[in-house]
Amino acid sequence: MSSLIGFLSLIAATGINFVLLSSKIFINFNINKYNTLVRFSSILTFISFFSLMYAYITSDFSNFNVFQNSHTDKPLIYKISGTWGNHEGSMLLWISILSIYGFFFSFTKKIDIELKKLTLLIQSFLHLLFSFFIIFTSNPFLINSVVVTEGLGLNPILQDPGLAIHPPLLYAGYVGYSIIFSLAIASLLNKNNNEEWLYIAKKWSLVSWTCLTGGIALGSYWAYYELGWGGWWFWDPVENISLMPWIAGLALVHSLLMIRGEQVLKRWIIFLSILCFSLSIFGTFLVRSGILTSVHSFAADASRGLFILLIFFIITGFGFLVFLLKKPETSKPITLLFINKFSALIFNNILMIIATLTVLLGTIYPIIVEVLTNKRISVGAPYFNSTVIPIMIPGFLLMSIAPILSWQTNKIRSARNYVIFFILISLIIVIQSYFSKFNTWGIVGLILGSWIIFASLFAVLTSYKLNFNFRFFQKVNPHIAHIGVGIAIVGITFSSVFKNEFTYNIVEGENFKINNTDIVFDKIETTNEKNFQSLRANFLISKNKKVIGNVKAGKNYYPVSKMITTEAGIFHEWFRDVYFILGEQKDNEWLVKVHVNPFVSFIWLGVIIMVYSGLIGVSRR
Amino acid sequence: MKLNLFSKISIKTLLFFCFFGISLSANENIEEKVKKLTLELRCMTCQNQSVYDSDADFSNDIKNLVKNKFEEGESEYEIKKFLAERYGEYILFRPFFNYNNLFLWGFPFILLTISLFFLIFKTRKK
Amino acid sequence: MNRLILISPLIILFVICLFVLIYLVSGKNPNKPPSALLNKDTPLFKSVSLYDDKTFINNESIKNKKVLINFFASWCTPCKVEHPLIFELANENPDLYILGFNHKDKKEDAKKYLKDDGDPYNFVGIDSDGLIALEFGVFGLPETFLINEDGKIIYKYMGPLTEKIIKDEIESLL
Repeated sequence: MSSLIGFLSLIAATGINFVLLSSKIFINFNINKYNTLVRFSSILTFISFFSLMYAYITSDFSNFNVFQNSHTDKPLIYKISGTWGNHEGSMLLWISILSIYGFFFSFTKKIDIELKKLTLLIQSFLHLLFSFFIIFTSNPFLINSVVVTEGLGLNPILQDPGLAIHPPLLYAGYVGYSIIFSLAIASLLNKNNNEEWLYIAKKWSLVSWTCLTGGIALGSYWAYYELGWGGWWFWDPVENISLMPWIAGLALVHSLLMIRGEQVLKRWIIFLSILCFSLSIFGTFLVRSGILTSVHSFAADASRGLFILLIFFIITGFGFLVFLLKKPETSKPITLLFINKFSALIFNNILMIIATLTVLLGTIYPIIVEVLTNKRISVGAPYFNSTVIPIMIPGFLLMSIAPILSWQTNKIRSARNYVIFFILISLIIVIQSYFSKFNTWGIVGLILGSWIIFASLFAVLTSYKLNFNFRFFQKVNPHIAHIGVGIAIVGITFSSVFKNEFTYNIVEGENFKINNTDIVFDKIETTNEKNFQSLRANFLISKNKKVIGNVKAGKNYYPVSKMITTEAGIFHEWFRDVYFILGEQKDNEWLVKVHVNPFVSFIWLGVIIMVYSGLIGVSRR
Repeated sequence: MKLNLFSKISIKTLLFFCFFGISLSANENIEEKVKKLTLELRCMTCQNQSVYDSDADFSNDIKNLVKNKFEEGESEYEIKKFLAERYGEYILFRPFFNYNNLFLWGFPFILLTISLFFLIFKTRKK
Repeated sequence: MNRLILISPLIILFVICLFVLIYLVSGKNPNKPPSALLNKDTPLFKSVSLYDDKTFINNESIKNKKVLINFFASWCTPCKVEHPLIFELANENPDLYILGFNHKDKKEDAKKYLKDDGDPYNFVGIDSDGLIALEFGVFGLPETFLINEDGKIIYKYMGPLTEKIIKDEIESLL
């Protein structure tokens, strides 16, 4: 029953969008009709989504999708997240989020009416394309032809709280760019519009960029504790795909900041808006078509791949074609001075786009080579580390001096203080690392990270009157965001350059020592949980003969899908993570791998700060 | 100009670190060489995992092979070539810098140069 | 100049879509990379017989013969699945020299497996430490190679053979 309701409301929503689109040709609706129709179709899409969710919660196995991806044994949260834990459901989630954005956008006031109409129209068009995709190739409401009482279960690797909310957040980021895309195209098509839309675009781009940041961070945190490889970023194709719209979105957010400098690079902003959404769809295509090998394996189907490729081609082609044919009138001639905030921002924008394109090239290069030569190559972490990072470094350098640059003139404020400060920090770091463990990348990363942190702190302390109200936090927000970046850089550098690994073959009761920490391999425990069997090794951690904590590392066995997952055990401290992986058993001995990852918590802290300032930024005009 | 002083100093310090780093990396022991190389090899039986990080049978074989070859005095490039001949370049996470991959390696830096020239050209014109 | 810059995103889009389309349509399998050894010389190998540790086989012994090399092990379940098909191949092509390499196995287990399920191979070589497999770029069992009279590898298949694969791809090469 719920499947029927879901399917019918999806059809109805599609019908409404169809009516809206054709109305452009036959009758000219007024804006109120537009608003009503868009909201109505959004609500119908939600109903469709929630009826699928209802089918999952009640384990309604008459729905084929539920039967394939759910199981009565699963805890409630994974029944809910099972809704988007599969291809069909995740596409329904995609258009539901598209509808949420459309719904809220329809409440926007202070916008040229024709512009708003056009934007909603393009939004409906996107909705229509993806609804067709769902209805014709990935219908989640198919009826199960046999009567069953039990489902096949959800991929155990997805049964994790972090991964349960990772897709909605990520999609909120991807799909959020659709509003900016529609706005940008609408502004090209609309003849008489002012620059008001740029302020609206700024808000929405911050919303989606913030969601995307959160989504990527969650995914990467999940990879850190669930894959059990000790790392948190692998330059895996699926990760690269989410990184591209992220960097491009970052460039977009920064370009939109330039409105404050009263020089607007309209054409560049429109280009970025189209690019961001195109990359988001391209990512969806690459993931869903299954033409990439990845740690995040997705069920794949070539015909679906073709359909999304077509959608990608239509949307991106349409976007760039309009961009080619309808040039925005350049408002003012742009004067680039040698060094001020404005040219620094432009330079950083260029770097970010080069980084994005490099990631794009690295991700699709194997496809191109295989088509041309029938040989397969890999483009992996070493390539990205040695291309993307060097390109970003001048950008980080500029970030660290950004606070002293002014918007309009070539003047540099209190430069001498800064230079002294920078040299001092660099000296401290060099001397410090000379006595510990020397590494070029480590030095560069640490110096850049701490320069950025201190320069931004310095700017906050000297340029603003300290009073802790909301307006103050709004004002210093850009600096706070940069402090977050600096902290993340320090964390990334430390955790990737200065990590240590130890391997032990030990029996229960034995102990070992890492630095000043004593670790006892206490015992092996096996328990039966609701939907899996768990095997855990308990480690007792003590410092100065005092037990300060324990960590359980091991494996889970999921009988329904006959899969084993690794469950790393992590002992978090402020300045390092001690990361345990339980390996194979040989006779009585267990293989235990221990990674000591310094400053990992700084990465997450930096990301949290960035997300925070993204949220504050939305509230600011 | 004050900026000049600042930029000169920072460039000098950076250069100093680079040379220092290179001179230090010259003498590594075999274990570190094995780690460095196996980190750049794909475990063919896994999903996008490096040989170093993986405990699969295949990875252990490759780790031993790499270690033996280093002990026999072969260079990193020779080992990579040996593996690529048998398993294809697919096994290398860092693609060879050769004719086929020229575009891949050159692209970011070419793009950077072009856009720098473009910027300078634009500023000059105004 | 300006027009060129404006049109470049569209060109890039076309190129990307074209390549991806060809990739999708040509039905390439992301999990099975094409072999690097195709149309190359057979790697050097030397192996001792499973049944008799005085009999050896090497590249010289298979000169001027059409050879099917099959890597198998008693612990490998998919190998069991393709096993009858190798018999079929042997029966239908008496001229074909079928060489089996027993990969990382215990001698007794291998002998028992070949006794229970039958032995379709003209020669069974031992590859106990997996070094021969390494030379052939094998990383998952079973894998099958076809070598022509000149000692060149003309075909490779990863995973268990099927009736369809033999009919569509191998028979035409024999």
